[in-house]
Amino acid sequence: MTQVELAELSRFLFEPVAIGLLSAAMVAYLYAMSATRIPRPDGTVAAAGRRSEHAGFVLASLGALALGAHIVVRALAAGRMPLGNMFEFSTIIALTTVLVGLVVIVGRLDRADLMGFLLLGSVLTMAAALLVYTEPGPLQQVLGTAWRAIHVSAIVFAAGLFTVAFVFGALYLVRDTAETRLRGPGPASGGSLGAAHAADLSGGEELDTVDGRMWPDAVVAGDLDGVEAEVVAEYRSHMRATIDPWRLAAGTFLGTAAVSWVFWVQGIRAGEAAFGSGFTRFLGINVVMALAAVLAWWAVPFLPSAATLDAMAYRTIAFAFPVWSFAVIAGAIWAEQSWGRYWGWDPKETSAFLTWVAYAGYLHARATRGMKGRNAGWLAIVAFGVLMFTYYGVNLVVSGLHSYAGTV
Amino acid sequence: MSRIDTSAPPEANPSVRRGPRRPQGPWGFVLDSVRMAWRWLTRMKTALIILAILGLETLLATVVPQQPNVPITVADWRSGAAGPGQVVSQVIDLFGGYDVYGSPLFLALLLLLFTSLTACLIPRTRAFWRAARRGRPPVSRNLDRQQHVATFTSALDVDTAHDRARTTLRRQRYRLRPPDADDLGDGQVAAEKGIISREGGSLLFHLSFYVLLVGIVLGQLLGFNGQVGVVEGQGFTDTPQAYWTNNPGRWWGADDHSGFQLSLDQFNIDWVREVRFAGTPSLFEADVTVTERDGSVRSDTISPNVPMVVDGEKIHLLDWGYAPHVVIRDGGEVVFDGTNTARLNSQGFYRTAIKAPGADPDIGLAVGLYPWAPPGDDGQPIITGAPWDDAPVLLVGTYRGDLKLDQVQDVTRLDTTGLDLVDLAYVRLGSEVELGDGITVEFPELQKWVGLQVSDRPTVPLLLLGAALLLAGLVPALYAYRRRVWVRAVTDEHGDTIVTVAGRAFQRSEAFLAGWGGLVESLRVALDGDDPVGDGGDPAAPGATPNDVFDPVAEPDRDDHDRDTTKVTT
Ligand code: HEM
Repeated sequence: MTQVELAELSRFLFEPVAIGLLSAAMVAYLYAMSATRIPRPDGTVAAAGRRSEHAGFVLASLGALALGAHIVVRALAAGRMPLGNMFEFSTIIALTTVLVGLVVIVGRLDRADLMGFLLLGSVLTMAAALLVYTEPGPLQQVLGTAWRAIHVSAIVFAAGLFTVAFVFGALYLVRDTAETRLRGPGPASGGSLGAAHAADLSGGEELDTVDGRMWPDAVVAGDLDGVEAEVVAEYRSHMRATIDPWRLAAGTFLGTAAVSWVFWVQGIRAGEAAFGSGFTRFLGINVVMALAAVLAWWAVPFLPSAATLDAMAYRTIAFAFPVWSFAVIAGAIWAEQSWGRYWGWDPKETSAFLTWVAYAGYLHARATRGMKGRNAGWLAIVAFGVLMFTYYGVNLVVSGLHSYAGTV
Repeated sequence: MSRIDTSAPPEANPSVRRGPRRPQGPWGFVLDSVRMAWRWLTRMKTALIILAILGLETLLATVVPQQPNVPITVADWRSGAAGPGQVVSQVIDLFGGYDVYGSPLFLALLLLLFTSLTACLIPRTRAFWRAARRGRPPVSRNLDRQQHVATFTSALDVDTAHDRARTTLRRQRYRLRPPDADDLGDGQVAAEKGIISREGGSLLFHLSFYVLLVGIVLGQLLGFNGQVGVVEGQGFTDTPQAYWTNNPGRWWGADDHSGFQLSLDQFNIDWVREVRFAGTPSLFEADVTVTERDGSVRSDTISPNVPMVVDGEKIHLLDWGYAPHVVIRDGGEVVFDGTNTARLNSQGFYRTAIKAPGADPDIGLAVGLYPWAPPGDDGQPIITGAPWDDAPVLLVGTYRGDLKLDQVQDVTRLDTTGLDLVDLAYVRLGSEVELGDGITVEFPELQKWVGLQVSDRPTVPLLLLGAALLLAGLVPALYAYRRRVWVRAVTDEHGDTIVTVAGRAFQRSEAFLAGWGGLVESLRVALDGDDPVGDGGDPAAPGATPNDVFDPVAEPDRDDHDRDTTKVTT
């Protein structure tokens, strides 16, 4: 096959094959999440839920395979390692999230109920990758060293892990809001960790006597075994009712806009009209994220407990942080080798450092009593915003502006 | 945590250590303020706030161009030619936003951060040291109320059971409470693990910042870097005067230069010419010959990732451009004959300025070089953006007047404020063109030049050490977890030995829980026990999720190791 044909094949594998498979897997897992959370009178789980979970696993595995094949074919088309530009980075970030989901989240931790949203994260990452699509092509010579390869693969891997953590962190905040409000005013309100802890102490099914509470804490935390079906249905609608989806969507729209404006600015810089395709992208990203938030709102009664989500976000970040640290160090070694300066505060170095500081802030917040729970959860969201802003912003806008000193 | 019992007679209470005598008056005020500031600095929230401000500053630096990186863009922002305008620019300047990393605010924040770091590391290190030297795990008064509990009966007598439990736990690298320190008298075994690696890792991680700081600061003081452009066939000598720009550290002396002489034999560059990716360099390297001070000569090839090292100084290839040889005649007399370096600009051509103050009045040429501009049907060059020099053409704007050479100037730009445009013309390679006012411009030859950087960074090994310490500390700081295990054997009314194993994790409860079954099993086997009774789960909350932050008492008893743990519940 010629290079051009290979390029076309790789693109085909990416879109529609991989995106299609992963989207289908996402739908299957989301359905499974809702179905397996409906206990039947005999206490078993609807078979449809299990079947759909298995279908999701197969589809997601095939999707990961297609994405892997895409990467290999693209590497052949370009004749080099597929770690050269933003499109390729985003692809690997997406693949990382899928693989982490399949191997760790489903395989080791048995949390298939989180896979739907995880796959949503990877599908959105892939869609965003298409916004920065580049034909497979040769790489500048300065980019072809071993340390660079180490640096880039580590940083992309860590970014994939941070994406996973963001999914957990965002779901945590939604779920925690619902749990806190469902518990109503009482000693346990004001921070889920305290609340979840109180749930542990209360010892299960006992209904709380504090005024304004209607639900056993264990039910609020998602333990529905042995609870009657009507109660479950009512509890579910009550849990959704605690959150106004419009406000959630609007908030998500605005929060996303804090990052996605770089696409708008990029369009204007490229000479488009103020409301040209850059604006469309900006708007599109915000709307999609707002829709994702509404999906999370719909799913809130099916989600794992806030405490679980919080712990998973923390563990993911705790794993990713050393990887990121190592990647930054490898980048400094590469810079010293290629440019004779290990650190120059150029926009990319600055953004890597900034992301590191943001996640260090999260880890500190988690280690500080009084800062745990929601505050730390918000920090995780902000840190991911910083990562995305520096990733897209620096690559699309800033480095085009202050041309890269020293890059030959 | 005071141990003073107010209802007891005074002699029953331990003597309270009095603080040092407080000075009164203004000194007292100063001292109190310092003490308060110090206490504020030791709080982790403070560190978080400082980190946040530092992050905001850094964010500013990604958005606003930085003087050391892109001085020309900064000049454009300041003058309002680019960026958000002059007013905003002045505000940015007010905060030192064009040189964030050199600004007093940034340095002050860094200082504050390190002070805060020091303030919180001193007590932590002390506590860690104490714990590592003679910390002993506390006994538990009520094993049944710990996070994880398991029970089994053993065929051994109580003392042997305790001994075997000790051996087993020691083999699993638990730290044991010495039996003679037992103040409850029931002979229970108390063991602890993970505190050294977790807290030690965290300390190592934070301490590595000092190593990095020292490495960076010393590197600034002791290092050198300079940039120089060299045209093919020419060279330079490693002396301070030879560099276009140089940046010696304060402790770097002129005699620290190794004084080699370098000449550029040839510069090879080529590009991908396939239309889709045209312009990506495919070959980029410089053949050089270096004569060291001791007379030894060596030839080498420098390419972007492969610097040449001469006597500890690294020579990197960073930049390149074309260097047109131009001859200017004014009324038939040569007023300029030389090769100027031209740099690629954002409009896709190579720009330089030629200044001939020897003419009267001064002649200045603003030169744009188009390396591939083949002649079209009308003989006019067709301008392409391609970088290869298959058909080079100069676009020359000729000026006369005052070059203002007494002022600081950009070598590649002409200050046209004192000049009048005479003519604008294309000059093809190998030709000579007559312009107005008796001026002719000849373009006999096109060469290339490379931009080299020479640097000496003596503290790189120290920085690598700092980075290694950082990673070596970070991993255990996040992964190791502190946990305690208690084993107590008692004889029940039938004369059987009942063994209770209790455990508690301070972090990563889920990891502890995962290993709990194996731990109990190893103890049961060692103690000849029957099948355990407890399932090892969390007795208090069956549906609870393992979570390492649940624990409300995960941190506070860091230096309170002998405290009774019966108050600890989950
Ligand atoms: C550049 C700045 C800093 C970074 C990147 C950083 C990073 C970290 C990280 C990654 C942890 C591990 C968190 C965990 O165990 O969950 C940690 C823990 C800690 N840091 Fe920092 N740190 C910085 C500065 C400081 C400063 C200035 C202080 C002092 C106020 C401080 C105090 C602490 C403390 C007390 C812990 C222990 C938390 C625990 O053991 O749970 N750090 N730090």
